[in-house]
Amino acid sequence: MSNSKETAVHAEFDAMAKKAEQFLARETVLLDDRRFWDWFALLDDQVIYQVLIRTVRESGADEFASTGFRQRDDKSMIETRIKRLHTGFAWAEDPPSRTVRLVGSIVVDPTDDPNVLAADSALHVYRHRAQDDHGDLIAARRRDRIRFTDQGPRLLSRTVLLADVVLTTPNLGIFL
Amino acid sequence: MSTAQPIRMTRRGPGLDSLLGAVAEGIDQGLVPVELFNDEDVFRAEMERIFARTWVFVAHETEIPNKGDFVLRRIGLDSVIVSRDDTGKVNVMSSHCRHRGTQVCLTDRGNATHFKCPYHGWTYKNNGEWAGAPHMREAYGEKLDAKEWGLLKAPRVDSHQGFIFASLSAEGPSLKEHLGGAAWVLDTICGLHPGGVRVVGSPERSILRADWKSGAENFAGDSYHIDTGHWSNEVTGYARGTRENNHMVRRLVLDGGHGFLCHALEQMGGPFLHLWGYPPHVQAQFDLSKMDEVQVKLLNENPPTIGNIFPNLSYLRVPSTAEAGKPPAVTTTFRQWQPLEPGLMEIWNWQFTFDFMSEEDTQHGYAVGQYIFSSSGMFEQDDTVLWEGIPRAGKSVWHRKAETMLHYRQTGIGTDAQRKPEPDWKGPGEFYNDGFGEFGQLNFYRQWLQLMRQDPEGAR
Repeated sequence: MSNSKETAVHAEFDAMAKKAEQFLARETVLLDDRRFWDWFALLDDQVIYQVLIRTVRESGADEFASTGFRQRDDKSMIETRIKRLHTGFAWAEDPPSRTVRLVGSIVVDPTDDPNVLAADSALHVYRHRAQDDHGDLIAARRRDRIRFTDQGPRLLSRTVLLADVVLTTPNLGIFL
Repeated sequence: MSTAQPIRMTRRGPGLDSLLGAVAEGIDQGLVPVELFNDEDVFRAEMERIFARTWVFVAHETEIPNKGDFVLRRIGLDSVIVSRDDTGKVNVMSSHCRHRGTQVCLTDRGNATHFKCPYHGWTYKNNGEWAGAPHMREAYGEKLDAKEWGLLKAPRVDSHQGFIFASLSAEGPSLKEHLGGAAWVLDTICGLHPGGVRVVGSPERSILRADWKSGAENFAGDSYHIDTGHWSNEVTGYARGTRENNHMVRRLVLDGGHGFLCHALEQMGGPFLHLWGYPPHVQAQFDLSKMDEVQVKLLNENPPTIGNIFPNLSYLRVPSTAEAGKPPAVTTTFRQWQPLEPGLMEIWNWQFTFDFMSEEDTQHGYAVGQYIFSSSGMFEQDDTVLWEGIPRAGKSVWHRKAETMLHYRQTGIGTDAQRKPEPDWKGPGEFYNDGFGEFGQLNFYRQWLQLMRQDPEGAR
């Protein structure tokens, strides 16, 4: 009896984990296709999206301790950014970059909330801006939480840990 | 009737001296040669004649509050350790070992009593003195002279309002003389409370494909770009009144190449923008009794919002919000345009708060600041692109052949515009009641030229 219950719980987690992976993959399509409002619809109302500042430190020390962030947005701040991208005057992304996102090395874990999963993923974004001779590679790990709602999975939080201490693409005009 | 004058420039020959001659001839006509923004000879000379000589910002004292604290920074292309030694004194030293030149420090920040070279183990105290080496007796017989074989130390280190500057030249104007009127402005910005300002977090760094001078001249006085370069924010409704901005801007042009813009904020937005719009409980802590009457008048009417301290330390303090309708916060950032190569720089962005301010107020100001001026900033990210075309023009064969001069003539040189500084201004430098006019930019290039024409080897 308890075995079958455990199996059912596992099956449910596996199904949710698979949906979480699909969610992360779908996001890359929407962002690469610049369907920003479709991506926006996948954000939880409580979403916090942040990109931390990293520092070079000795082995064992916390590279992110008290550093602050490059970006920390709630949903309304993201909404303003997307509006800006559609004004025709947002020069950092007008003309827009051509991007290809690759998301992988995904690990999904349960959290204290049965409706929320933690997803850790690696992200490579190839960003080719306007008339640049070469594209930029942005590499990061992302620590996400995904909430499962009646409407489907929603991004509840994202913390982006860039590999770069010194950002080599000139700005964060794109979402990671 | 137009008073516009044609450009009168001498055809120039090859070489740096000829180019500097063209800068001299150009500045008086409100013109700057485009090669300045991407040229190997110019860049090399800037490193030697400006960055290895004048006072360059390296850190704020609050980044290294305790004995042994250090940060890794840069003066021009040189990597320097800024440390607080065991006596509490601040030292600015080269990070390269005197034995073979290996870097003895590769971390951005930390606390150390000593720096040990990872190659052969030569070790230095946190004041830069040579402290020892492995197998000393067998290798050297006796101890080396601690000072002679210490890390290279900046001959002059001084600070103002906690901002630590270093000069790699033993001679020259003092920091006080170098800052001049900029120190007076810094006092209005940072001296509102006896506790002063402190850095929040770590500086944010990004590589921009633009020349360091483009950042410096922009912050020294470019209010003209705001309603084109940053127009997107007006369209979304996030920022209002950028069209009227220039009429609300006041311009402060200071000796030494420094320049500031001030905004008549209360006139623009109402009484709640008094003193940049700091909330009443914060303003209640401000103490203006140490300010002179011109500083008090400036703070009350036109607080300084943007500026550049020559050569490459810029400032911005503005009220803003995380979104339209949310309560405003005031953000203070200092940023440095670090030269990397001709036409390539690294921006360092520090956020500040007043030391007395609560964590909540501090974090609010930080969040709002990063939303507008940072690598993700809704204003700054556009600047990063707008400045990229300039070094491409500077490298252009066509533009070099045409000896292109860029147009800095809003000052009224060669155009119909008539602009005069306020005759009754009692503070340092010149004060203009107008955002138009590129006086701050030309003032920056005049100082640049003066240093570039003085060969540090004394050849001229």
